[in-house]
Amino acid sequence: MPSSLPADIPEAAGTARAAAAPRSSGLSLLASELKVLFGRRRTGALLLALAAIPVLIAVAVKVSSAVPAGRGPAFLDRITQNGLFVAFTAMLVSVPLFMPLAVGVVAGDTIAGEANLGTLRYLLVAPAGRVRLLLVKYAGALAFCIVAPLTVGLAGAAIGAALFPVGPVTLLSGGVVQPVEAALRIVLIAAYLAVSLAGLSAIGLFLSTLTVVPVGAMAATVVVSVVSQVMDQLPQLEWLHPWLFSHYWLGFGDMLRQPVLWDSFASNALLQAGYVAVFGALAYGRFVTKDILS
Amino acid sequence: MGSNRLDSSAWFQRNSTTGRRAWLRWLPAVAAPVAIASGALIGSLPAGASNPLPAKTPAQVLELAASHQVQTFSGTMEQSAELGLPELPATGKPSGPASPGSVASMIELLSGKHTARIYVDGKDNARVQVMDQLAERDVVRRGSDVWFYSSKDNAAAHLAMPAHSQGPADAKDQAPPKDMQGAPGLHTPAELAQQFLSKVDPSTAVSVGSDVSVAGRAAYNLLIEPRTDATLVGRVAIAVDGENGMPLSVQVTARGADKPAFSSGFTSLSLAAPDPSVFTFTPPPGGTVKELPVPDRSREPADAHQGAMHNGAKGRVAVTGTGWETVVGTARGSASAAESMLQDPLLSQAAVAVPGGRLVSTPLLNVLVTDDGRIFAGMVAPERLQAAAAAAQ
Repeated sequence: MPSSLPADIPEAAGTARAAAAPRSSGLSLLASELKVLFGRRRTGALLLALAAIPVLIAVAVKVSSAVPAGRGPAFLDRITQNGLFVAFTAMLVSVPLFMPLAVGVVAGDTIAGEANLGTLRYLLVAPAGRVRLLLVKYAGALAFCIVAPLTVGLAGAAIGAALFPVGPVTLLSGGVVQPVEAALRIVLIAAYLAVSLAGLSAIGLFLSTLTVVPVGAMAATVVVSVVSQVMDQLPQLEWLHPWLFSHYWLGFGDMLRQPVLWDSFASNALLQAGYVAVFGALAYGRFVTKDILS
Repeated sequence: MGSNRLDSSAWFQRNSTTGRRAWLRWLPAVAAPVAIASGALIGSLPAGASNPLPAKTPAQVLELAASHQVQTFSGTMEQSAELGLPELPATGKPSGPASPGSVASMIELLSGKHTARIYVDGKDNARVQVMDQLAERDVVRRGSDVWFYSSKDNAAAHLAMPAHSQGPADAKDQAPPKDMQGAPGLHTPAELAQQFLSKVDPSTAVSVGSDVSVAGRAAYNLLIEPRTDATLVGRVAIAVDGENGMPLSVQVTARGADKPAFSSGFTSLSLAAPDPSVFTFTPPPGGTVKELPVPDRSREPADAHQGAMHNGAKGRVAVTGTGWETVVGTARGSASAAESMLQDPLLSQAAVAVPGGRLVSTPLLNVLVTDDGRIFAGMVAPERLQAAAAAAQ
């Protein structure tokens, strides 16, 4: 993983933040955390890879013959008529694996990454406190959860508009909305996905407090998301389904109905809040009782 | 010396966190799941009868249900069926065109769980949205225009209803039922309740259980138990709204089972008039539009009793038996319906060969397709279907 490469160490990021922390509150700690997170080459590569998904889809549809109606992932057959459907298709395709993968990398790196670089104790030397550091780290992961789906959606809309005609979008209910409102729906879906990934981020944060090997925490987070999705497919575990954090992941189609169905958004938010509470508390329990040796 | 002091202070710190206060740090990690579990438990408990409905006799509740006049409402309903039909996984549904009213879409709706939004305003305006994952099937009726739409293949179909269907004389046309043709496997509680209430005869035990809460509304729990062994139905529970008598949920339990095999009920309900814009539908650009032939109204009376079968049969329909033992059969010459049924891969997989034909058996309903192409269906044991088929020859 790139984290172990010296080149990836942001210029004494840990010490810089440690110096900034005393004279400030968590806000500046958060600002520096966001700066480090999004200034990191790895984060840029992740977002670039996510943005490549809609580009690949759009180019593949452009160079191939028309997709017959009703074949392939939902919305794929609409792309040739309306470029904005690239965004919907790309978000749908990236939900099961690519998004959790990217979020797993970021969330798994939160604490373990600092521990691995040996910067964690410098961060804690400052009176910032472990709780505040944990909160700031989680906020950084959440910020990535917001940016990642937006990247896919906006890149999809952009490449779709570049390669295909853009016009009124047909919603699932058969109604038609203008491109401006369609763009709003794309943002709405991105918000839905950001909420969907909050629980996984909390799991990643907890796993990250367990180890000093970031790759382990990243891989474990991604595995957890895959296991959850597999369990969601097993009819024998039907009683468990509403409790799986991935249960509502593909429910974002409800944002494309007329009128918008908010039930799944609300259920999803409640479920994710539960996961954030449980795994946030676990991460707290682990992190504040942990011996920081690096 | 210095290092010694450092060591001892570190030791002290460690000792204090691991010993006395460490368990306190883990307290939130224990408290959070406990709080969530207790919250879920409280939420799943049946709502206490804080404001009990006035006691009513079964006859009064039956009358209340029969006289309900609710023609304007919107709500979300959930239907779940565990009929043992081949179930499609939640993802990877057949991507072929889901033509309105096809056998495949009927079977699909009769297996597993489905959610639909329903908007009804008077007798002439209705909309049903069957909400699948990343797809939707719509039936929109505005006046005499009925539109069917499936988002999966962007296909719309239009049906112009004959004018006489809107007359006030058409009393049994209680808003939604006739509009459900695009989703024949989906049944509103009101529609189902009507079917079961029509079967109540002197041989049926009717009682009222303790009040239930459905979609946040207090309701009478009307329990119907057929006393005859001839039917597969063990018990039907209908939640009848305490205020206006509208059936809010229906649960059908097979004889000898303890969990309902089929249930349909509102999860939310509003009695306010829906926004008129939901009843407008124009076929979206880029999709296909098909004009459907006007259905033959002469076979409607039988349709009402046919339940889940009501889109299959095209020919003459023969009804034998009454009440719970009703068997509906099609005459010879409607082989096309039988063929289309058996051509459906899912249904032919579910059908087993029996003497005289092929049988699709579920805990609540049996369907027999005879070798000469007739279809017999009823909530009765397969032997009775075979007997009816033999008798009709």
